[in-house]
Amino acid sequence: MVTLYEGAIIALLVGGVFFGIVAAVGLLRLPDLYTRAHGASKTDTLGAGLSLAAAAAALGSGLPTVKVVLLLVFLFLTNPTAAHAITRAAADQGIEPWTSEDRGDGE
Amino acid sequence: MALIRTCHGHHDNSDCCQLSSGRARPVGGPVARDRGGATVTGEKLLVPVSESPTLRNTVAYAVRNAVEGEDRYDAVHFVYPASRRVAGEEYIESARELLERVAVWAGEDLGEDDPDLTVETELIGVDDYLFSPGDYVDLLTDYARDEGIEAVLLDPEFNPGENTPLLPPLEAELERAGLVVETAPVERGTRRDRLVRRAGLGQFVLLAALSYGFYLLIGGSLAAFDLVTGAISAAIVATVLWRISLTGPVRPGQLVARLARMLVFTPYLLYEIVVANLHVAYVVLHPSLPIDPEVVEFDAAVWSEIPVTTLANSITLTPGTLTVDVTRQHFTVHTLTESSREDLLDGGLERAVRFVFYGRAAARGPGPRERGDDGGEES
Repeated sequence: MVTLYEGAIIALLVGGVFFGIVAAVGLLRLPDLYTRAHGASKTDTLGAGLSLAAAAAALGSGLPTVKVVLLLVFLFLTNPTAAHAITRAAADQGIEPWTSEDRGDGE
Repeated sequence: MALIRTCHGHHDNSDCCQLSSGRARPVGGPVARDRGGATVTGEKLLVPVSESPTLRNTVAYAVRNAVEGEDRYDAVHFVYPASRRVAGEEYIESARELLERVAVWAGEDLGEDDPDLTVETELIGVDDYLFSPGDYVDLLTDYARDEGIEAVLLDPEFNPGENTPLLPPLEAELERAGLVVETAPVERGTRRDRLVRRAGLGQFVLLAALSYGFYLLIGGSLAAFDLVTGAISAAIVATVLWRISLTGPVRPGQLVARLARMLVFTPYLLYEIVVANLHVAYVVLHPSLPIDPEVVEFDAAVWSEIPVTTLANSITLTPGTLTVDVTRQHFTVHTLTESSREDLLDGGLERAVRFVFYGRAAARGPGPRERGDDGGEES
């Protein structure tokens, strides 16, 4: 039998995997660079976040947990920055965002 | 081998520019010569230089243009018009250093490929008075005439006087003097604010303390060795970065208050992230992919760098919204669905950021929509 604590860890891990998969599916299904940046950079953040939270919980209280939390903090700082850098570069290059009017153009 | 000469006199004293390479300097009009199959005229290009953000690119453009452009040039003359009487000896010294750098850059751009481009750098007008654009025009046209130069390439940010914008009148006047003038099609890379700013002891101590704390936390021990190496590392970090990482005065009270409010903000942000993530997961996994992306722009009611950055990153972290660009407080945000757009313009995150940085009173107040700024669509 798993304890409640282990159950929580497993739940966190499952959530992490789920959002990781959502990020991958989003990357494949969404139509253009901007929408893909949504899918890839952020559901990914939560996926990685939940996985790291599971790791922190599994490690218990102590120094490794502090380090995992720091990892989380830096992940939450760097991920949006990277997404912003990519989309801004795209905007500077004049790439037009996909809109729902483009739907059905055989796109 | 490409020929690069540097001359630091004013151009009247042309003795110092005598070549020792044995190649005759073409005087006057174009001299046709054969260079590796392609006939090249003995034309020269004049490039006035001064300290400018686009100078490096202008040098590259000039060299590339001279070697492989439509009108090839035989020689490129980089000249720095600088007057000792107006600007002082120090300025002349820095002009000299700049010209040396230009010569090095030109050498780098040439590489080993082209054996026959002469690059000259020269300081001109040292003993003249240079005030108005007219003075610079006279100086440059005199130089061009003496050297038999007919074409001028201008750096778009050329401004040796450091006072009035010189380029437009300069361009027109040089053309009137019968020279072919082109402005180099170069842009400054990124517009940078000054990286190094004023800072005091407070910033130094705070940065050193933060670095020290972080070092000990990561190291996970308080042994004498770690205490000493940590102190050394923190001192080095603070010495190098104290005028870069932290700006503004250090007010411990305010800092603690902000950190405390940040602790309140974090769960709220996490909650928003989870909710919005579930929403995006639903949208992405839905068979018909119900997205309606749109770019919205609004002015956020937050000020100064760190709050704006926090808001921009929070918007990006919240799925369905993605900050594309921020100029001061003007946000350009890409939104994935109608409901994420609604949430953004309701201004919940913005209020939360205001709460963290300015306190509870500032948290109340209208969101972007209520300010009548409801996201004009970017065409």
